Amino acid sequence: MTAPLFAIDALRVAVDDIQIVKDLSLTLQPGEVHAIMGPNGSGKSTLANTLMGHPRYTVNGGDIRLKGQSLLELPPDERARAGLFLAFQYPTDVPGVSMINFLRRAMSARRGEEIPVREFRQTLNQVLGELQIDEQFVRRYVNDGFSGGEKKRAEILQLGLLQPEVAIMDETDSGLDIDALRIVSEGINAFHSEGNAILLITHYQRILHYVQPDHVHVLIDGAIVESGDAGLAERLEKDGYEPFQTLNQERSRQKGLVTA
Amino acid sequence: MARLASPVRKRDRMSEAALAPAPVQDLPAARLVDLVDEISSGLDEPTWLRDWRHAALRRALDTPWPSGKEEEWRRTPPERLPRRAESALPPSSNGAAPTHLFAPRDRAALLHHVGGRAVNAALRSDLEAGGLLLAPLSQAAREHPALVQRWLGSTHAPAFDRYGALGAALWTQGMFCYVPAGLQVDHSVFHLTSQPADGSDLWAYTLVAAERESAVSVIEAAAGPADDLRDDGRAPFVHHTVELAAEDAANIQFATVQRWSQDTAALTTAVAAIGRDAQLRYNSVSIGADLDKQRIDLELAQPGGHADLHGVFAGRGHQHIEHITRQHHSGLNASSELLVRGVLTDESHAVQYGVIRIDPGGQKTSAFQTMRNLLLDAGAGADPIPILEIEADDVKCSHAAAVGPVSADQLFYLQSRGIPPAIAERMVVRGFLAEVVDEIADQHLREVIDELIEAQLQIPHTVVSE
Repeated sequence: MTAPLFAIDALRVAVDDIQIVKDLSLTLQPGEVHAIMGPNGSGKSTLANTLMGHPRYTVNGGDIRLKGQSLLELPPDERARAGLFLAFQYPTDVPGVSMINFLRRAMSARRGEEIPVREFRQTLNQVLGELQIDEQFVRRYVNDGFSGGEKKRAEILQLGLLQPEVAIMDETDSGLDIDALRIVSEGINAFHSEGNAILLITHYQRILHYVQPDHVHVLIDGAIVESGDAGLAERLEKDGYEPFQTLNQERSRQKGLVTA
Repeated sequence: MARLASPVRKRDRMSEAALAPAPVQDLPAARLVDLVDEISSGLDEPTWLRDWRHAALRRALDTPWPSGKEEEWRRTPPERLPRRAESALPPSSNGAAPTHLFAPRDRAALLHHVGGRAVNAALRSDLEAGGLLLAPLSQAAREHPALVQRWLGSTHAPAFDRYGALGAALWTQGMFCYVPAGLQVDHSVFHLTSQPADGSDLWAYTLVAAERESAVSVIEAAAGPADDLRDDGRAPFVHHTVELAAEDAANIQFATVQRWSQDTAALTTAVAAIGRDAQLRYNSVSIGADLDKQRIDLELAQPGGHADLHGVFAGRGHQHIEHITRQHHSGLNASSELLVRGVLTDESHAVQYGVIRIDPGGQKTSAFQTMRNLLLDAGAGADPIPILEIEADDVKCSHAAAVGPVSADQLFYLQSRGIPPAIAERMVVRGFLAEVVDEIADQHLREVIDELIEAQLQIPHTVVSE
C-alpha cells in the first residue's frame, strides 16, 4: 500500500512548555478536501503553523509526513518545495519587497530552477485574471498596507501560482465580505484537483458552502473529538461547539480518573 | 556635451612645504594663515574668496574643538575622529588608479574630482544655454563671482562649529551647482569623488543653489578602495561641507553616497535652507569609512516649505555611524520628515540624535522622525535618540525609534513559499532599506548601491532566528 499524500500522526505541539496540540492524527488522500473546525483557542493556528515548520512551535511527539517522507526535520522552505503550502490567517507584510519579485522567487524556488520571465508573466496574468486582481497589485510591497481582503486574495494568488500538493488554509474566510469570500473560494476550487488535497482550518462553516469538504473534523482543546462528513459542519452551525466542548470535558475527566 | 574650461590651474604654485606631514595636531595660527593663502592661490581664486577663507579661519581659531561632552559629541569615540587642520594639504596625485563607484549614463552634467583635483567636467549644451552651472567652486568664483558670492556661506554651515569653520577655510575640492529661476533640469547632475589614493586627507565643499521655481536632482558619489588606504594607523580624514539653498518654490533632490576606504574618518557638516513653498529631499547613503558622522540641519524659515531627510547605512566590523540631525522650523505651515534606516553587522554601532526644533513662529508645522536599526549580529548596536523642542502650540510632531533583529515572522513567511533562508534574509534586508534607496533618482546607481550594501554586510549573513 502506498503512503497517503499527507499524514499527521499522533502529533503533539507545545508553545513555551504549554501543550497545545495533543495526539492529533489525520490523513489526506489525493483529491480530498478536509475541514478542521474549532472554537477560538482550540489550537487551529498552532496546528497550521506547526505543519509549515514555524520555529516558535515545538513538536514533542508524533510525526508529519508528505508522501511518506517525514517533514519534522525539514525547515519551512524545504517543506514548501516538497509541495506543502500554508495560506496564512494573518499574512506577514514585508515592506520593500515587491509582490512580483517575491512571486517570481517563490515560483523559481518551487520548481527548483529560475522560471523564464515570459512564462512567469503568462502564468501570473492568467491567475490574476481568475482572481480578478488588478495587474498593478503585484507592483506593491508584499502585504504592505493591504486590506484584509487583499491579503487573502494574495494568498490565493500564491496558491494558484505555486501549485502545491497539499494546501493548508488557515482561517482564509475570516475578514472577508461575501463577494471576496466567493472569489477566494472560487480560487480554491479552481486550484483543487484529483492530484492535490486541501485542509481547511476554520472557525465558521460559511466557507464550506463554497468549498465542499469530504471530511469534517471538530478540534477541541488540541485534539480531534469527532469526525464526519459535510453533515457534521451543519450540526456545528445549528448547535455550536458547546456540545463538543462538554463532551470533551467529560472525556478528559474520565481519563483523569483512569490515570489518577 | 560641452566641456567646461580647464577646471584647476596653477597647481605648480603649491608649495612643497605644505605637502610635508605636520607632526602636531594643530598647526600654529600663522602657519594656518599661510596654508589658506597657499590653497587659495593654488586654486587661482579671486581675492574676495581668499578673504572669505581667512574670515572662516579666524572663526575657527576663535572656536574651541568640541569638548566631547556636548550631546551631539558625547557618543562619538574621540580617538577615531582626528582634530587636525594641518591635513588640508593641496590636492596631490600619486598616479594610483582612482576608485569609482559607477559611471553615470543619463546625465545633465558631470563633475569628477580625483584626489581633490577636478579631472572632468561636462555639461549638456542645452542646459548650459539655459543657465545651468556645474563647476569646481574656485573656477565658478572666478567666472561667476556675483553668483557664488550670493550663495557661498548663505547657510550657517561655515559657522557650524570649529570643523565647519575649518571646512570653509581649508577646502580644496569645491563643487558649485547653480540652477537659474524656472529651469527644470530633466536628468541628474552628478558629482563624483575619488578619494586621494595616497591616503591623504580631503576637505570638500559642495554648494547647490536652486533659484525660485527651478528643479534639480544632484547626486554625489564618493569612493575609496574597499579596504584600508593607509598602513601607518593614521586615519585618512574627510570633511565634507554641504550647503543647499532652495529658493521659493524650488525643488532640490540631493543624494550623497559614500563608500570611503575602511580606515577613513568622515565628517559631514550639511545645512539645507528651504524657501517658501520649496521642496528639498536629502538622501544619504553610508557604506564605507571607519567612522562616519553626519551633521545635517534643515532650516525651514519660510512658510510652506517641505524637507525630507532620508538616510540609510550599512555597518560592519567596528564601524561607527552617526546621524546628528536638526529639523529647525521657524516658518509657518512647513513640514519635514526624518527617516534613517540602517543595518548593522559584527560589532558596528550607530547613533541617531535627531532634534525637531520648532520656534514660536513655526505654527502649523508637521515634523516627523523615524529611526530604525536592524541588527544582524548580537555584537552590533544602535542608539536612536529623538529630541523634541517645541515652542509653538499648533503643531503635529511624532517620532518612532526601533532597534531589533530581522523579524522571524517575515523570514518564516518568505521561507514558507520555498525561498531559502539566505535569500529570504537578503530580501528582507534589501526591503528594509528600499524605501530610501529606491528614492535615488538613478537606476544604475541604485543597483550599484545594492551590490555595495550586500558586499558590505556579507549578505547572506547569519540568519537570526528566535
